Amino acid sequence: MNRLWIDERYCKGCLICVDICPEKALKASEGINAKGFILPAEADMTRCKACGLCELMCPDFAIAIGE
Amino acid sequence: MLKYLKAEGLMGSRLPTILCPGCGGGQVLNYTLQAVDRLIAKDDIRKEDFLFISGVGCSSRITSHYLNFDSAWTIHGRALAVATGALLANPAFRVIVFTGDGDLAAIGGNHFIHACRRNINVTILCMNNGLYGMTGGQLAPTTEKGVVTTTTPYGNPEKSFDLCKLSETAGAPYVARWTTAHPRQIVRSVMKGIRKKGTAFIEVLSQCPVHKKMSPVAMLKMLKENTIPIGNQSQSGEGKIPVGEFLDIEMPEWNDSYENIVKAARKEDCGLHE
Repeated sequence: MNRLWIDERYCKGCLICVDICPEKALKASEGINAKGFILPAEADMTRCKACGLCELMCPDFAIAIGE
Repeated sequence: MLKYLKAEGLMGSRLPTILCPGCGGGQVLNYTLQAVDRLIAKDDIRKEDFLFISGVGCSSRITSHYLNFDSAWTIHGRALAVATGALLANPAFRVIVFTGDGDLAAIGGNHFIHACRRNINVTILCMNNGLYGMTGGQLAPTTEKGVVTTTTPYGNPEKSFDLCKLSETAGAPYVARWTTAHPRQIVRSVMKGIRKKGTAFIEVLSQCPVHKKMSPVAMLKMLKENTIPIGNQSQSGEGKIPVGEFLDIEMPEWNDSYENIVKAARKEDCGLHE
């Protein structure tokens, strides 16, 4: 199963990845981080096909999908 | 991919970028690096062959500050003038110019027209968000009619610039327009543009969530809804902006024509001295 890697230093919480995911494998996390951003989180990673759209569309190079 | 970018392309220690959350500029940088990455893997182009040149503005800041490629951060609107000089010095460069609509269409308008006319070997990536983002969201030449900006609180009374038509008329052999919601198309277009001998103009309609006061996700949806791919007969394109590849032809490139002149002049000179 694929895993979601978020670089918390770079993510600014625009949540484009959550919206763009065609399989709805991501969701917005409940709380906010130390910078005040809502980060993306795993919703159901069994649905992830590793299409790479979230990695491609991230403006801040903060997201990666991998084993 | 990400590891490759951070180790080879982006300067990891300089991240996060200075851009606002959800900015289209970061996305275009991501798409371009993806295209550059594929070109290095597929074609016989080395990392050292690339040269990134930018002017002044939000979109122009991203290349010179975060890339581990050769780059130049030049004066406002004059990125294409510097690119012309760089190509004269070394015609083997693969020059990519990152620019915004204010940089390219407003202050650098004449440089843009003449770069297209000369057909210099550059790939111009114009991030068009329809306003001056860095200075506070003022009216730009590319602002659509009726749009409210900080300097037009009752709506913009002027018509906007169509940069694709302008570059096509001025003589660029490759012209395309996409939005930031078309990732794979932009990657393909940038690869084509870099391979193309001559000026490749790629306009990317981009979002400015801060000055348009919308969420990045809503703006991406709006960009997709307001555009229509050229050749799409199934929907009516009334009031929508056409996107796609408008032009893809071959034309003699400026440096090649220049080389021919140099060769002809040398021959004449040799004839005189014999």
